[in-house]
Amino acid sequence: MSIFFTLLRQRVRRDRVQVLSWLLVMATIVFLTASALQDVFGEESERAALIQLATANPAILVLRGPPQGVDLDALFIFSSFSFLGLLVGLINTFLAVRHSRAEEETGRAELVGATPIPRLLPLSATVVWGVIVNLLMAVMVSGCCVAAGMDVAGSVLTGVALGAIGLSFLAVGLLASELMLTSRAANAVAAGSVLLAYLARGVGDAFGEVSQDGLVVQSAWPSALSPIGWGLATHPFTANDWTPLLLNLALAVVLTASACLLAVTRDSGASVFGAGVGRATARRSLSSSIGLAWRLHRPSVIGWVLGGLLLGVFAGALGTVAGQNDVANNPLAEQLRRLSDGGETLDQAFLTAIFNLVGVLAAGCAVQAAVRARQEEAVTTAELVLATPVRRVRWLVDYLVVGVVAVVLVLGVAALAAIGAAAAVGAASASNSDAVASALAQLPAPLLYLGTVALIFVLLPRYTAPLGWALLTAGAFVGLFGKLIGFPDWLNNLSPFTHAPAAIGSETDWSSGFVMLALALGAGVVASVLLEKRDIASA
Amino acid sequence: MSTVIRTRDLHKHFGHVRALDGLDLDVDAGEIHGFLGPNGAGKSTTIRILLGLARATSGSASVFGANPRADAVAIHSRLAYVPGDVSLWPNLTGGEAIDLLSRLRGIRDRVEYERSKQHLLDVFELDPTKKGRTYSKGNRQKVALVAAFAVPAELYLLDEPTSGLDPLMEAVFRSELLDRVADGGTVLLSSHILSEVELLCSRVSIIRAGRRVEEGTLSDLRRLTRTEVAFSAGELAATDLVVIPGVTDLRVENGRATFTADSSALLDALPALAALRVQNLTITPPSLEELFLRHYGDAGPANQPAAEPAADPAIEPGADPVIEPATESAPAHARHAKSSR
Repeated sequence: MSIFFTLLRQRVRRDRVQVLSWLLVMATIVFLTASALQDVFGEESERAALIQLATANPAILVLRGPPQGVDLDALFIFSSFSFLGLLVGLINTFLAVRHSRAEEETGRAELVGATPIPRLLPLSATVVWGVIVNLLMAVMVSGCCVAAGMDVAGSVLTGVALGAIGLSFLAVGLLASELMLTSRAANAVAAGSVLLAYLARGVGDAFGEVSQDGLVVQSAWPSALSPIGWGLATHPFTANDWTPLLLNLALAVVLTASACLLAVTRDSGASVFGAGVGRATARRSLSSSIGLAWRLHRPSVIGWVLGGLLLGVFAGALGTVAGQNDVANNPLAEQLRRLSDGGETLDQAFLTAIFNLVGVLAAGCAVQAAVRARQEEAVTTAELVLATPVRRVRWLVDYLVVGVVAVVLVLGVAALAAIGAAAAVGAASASNSDAVASALAQLPAPLLYLGTVALIFVLLPRYTAPLGWALLTAGAFVGLFGKLIGFPDWLNNLSPFTHAPAAIGSETDWSSGFVMLALALGAGVVASVLLEKRDIASA
Repeated sequence: MSTVIRTRDLHKHFGHVRALDGLDLDVDAGEIHGFLGPNGAGKSTTIRILLGLARATSGSASVFGANPRADAVAIHSRLAYVPGDVSLWPNLTGGEAIDLLSRLRGIRDRVEYERSKQHLLDVFELDPTKKGRTYSKGNRQKVALVAAFAVPAELYLLDEPTSGLDPLMEAVFRSELLDRVADGGTVLLSSHILSEVELLCSRVSIIRAGRRVEEGTLSDLRRLTRTEVAFSAGELAATDLVVIPGVTDLRVENGRATFTADSSALLDALPALAALRVQNLTITPPSLEELFLRHYGDAGPANQPAAEPAADPAIEPGADPVIEPATESAPAHARHAKSSR
């Protein structure tokens, strides 16, 4: 038992800063959102208008969730629960992989495994640590909700539901670690599952049944396939139904048990998929450092592009549902602008809202490209390349070029998918140029992220990954939700996503895009120049 | 003979830690230069500076007469590097990694490259189809060695290249390396494997705490160290033996007398031994191991700044003889250290 606590302590110690930071980020989001909603949507009529607009516009439902009436507390769930679920899912999958597959990959697991402890003890310690983290998170979220003046029963359910979602994805991460050979692959599979769960419930909510008064949405069946959807189905503050959480717990138990079964039956270091045999010689494409950068980034690019494809199809297919209503003289226009900046008709607003999301995906892809350079440095494979006649500036620029190409691919595929899907459902061809323009408008922000993370990589190499992903999370939250929740302008203006140019409608303005492109280029150039001045070091 | 690598008063500081503390290093064209020193002495740091991966805090370093940082690309097109702990890309096979690194270095003759690579894969018994993640430490090392040897280089920077290899593969490594040198290559070989150093290296530099404490051929180094002399003591007591010139570490125990003497001064001691008519005389030259232990072990923790050169036994081998009481447990190098202070 004392060994178990040693292992548990080691996990706590390793994660304390990271987990604490995530918990603080979540607390901040809950608190800011709750108080901002109270300030901006104090009047019930305003809330009703907002929700009616949302139910008329599926894109908003994709991003947020199914509204459950005009109650202020319910509005909080509608506006932020899905995003919190997404965040909790990612925190848990990364935690699970960090303590399982990543440990095996580096050989540390073997050191621990060689000591006289039961085979499953490290895995058990990871499970217990994950449960503790989710309990802490549940308590904290509940506390923040109560502190923000929300109903106690609903607050507790909100926290517990997020904790249950967390446990489901903890188990997903553990199973992915058993299945995949590398931590990179395990993280990709597990984080991909989280995104898929988020999207599944998005589709379910978008196709949901809207009540007569337009204030309540009953989610369609895809939501019932998603652990985040199960969490939403508890309807905190309105129905307060705890039973859907049994599904979350059942999934967690089944997947954890499968992971344990695999862990006791397989060899240490082995995996179910990805047994390592491949080509004896390299293809011609693998002849340069950019060829290598592309090869390393390619699997992730495929994932991000698939995300863009899904969203693009969604935007094109649902655009007509949103309708051509002119909202310029509509009393809802003011509210619409809170939700999405672009366009004059509902379908244009819808398109812009979806492409805002594609922009976040593309930015994720960009951040990952720059983080990849740091990973190469940290595991010392960069040294093998930099000991050959490859200029180090060239080496970094190659990763950035791959990042740019990946961003263009994500946006381009999304635009093409939107056009193709629109044509398939017989939408007006005028929306084609809108789709292209919306995609173009999303180009600068991801590139600004690419340049910024490259600069972090050069100046603070050790913080490349944590700082890069934190900036993306914060920027995405503020950019997608800031105006809806009513954050102050200075805060909204900090997010690059807020400054995506107004690309469609009668008053287009691309200036902010050019400013961001210039900043991105500047950051990239400065990073390249400064890289010459610093050591290449794994620590 | 031209100089390929030269450093003068090279310093590298990490905060308060002086990884290199005034290192001078000279490697001439065509030689296999052994680069020795205890863990943490600064060997890898030196190689990283020579590769331009790290910047020196002060002092100068040149490779092929050029600046390792400013002229990195030109220098790198003429060298091959093998790190001591090779990391590979988890999702690339060994064969892909070898091809990639060779292409980056520049393959001049494709046919010759393929032939050379296949030969190396055969002799090192390396399966190129496995993914990087699944190779053992020794096999990762082989991947880097094949990539380094498959394309000819003028300079090989090898940082403990055989760590993790089995003895058979060490032999393969030695034979391949000697072939490269026969073709005109120069080698800087950082190693802890003394037999490897003895078999390969024409000259060695020993560094400790970021400074070179010894440089020369192995026979030079042997000459600087002490030879152990032993014989049956018979009726003789320690006091009878101090008359022998150049005696250090004199001990008489279990009927056997032992002492050490400077290898260069040994001849002076022989007449005295003859006069004493000693029996069962054995004269043992210093083993390579003793030679290194002495340099590695007598300066305390490796991270502290080196002792003043003047006080260093390696630099001043002819210290005053002191008769030490025999201690059973003290290892040879520790006695050397005491006797010189």
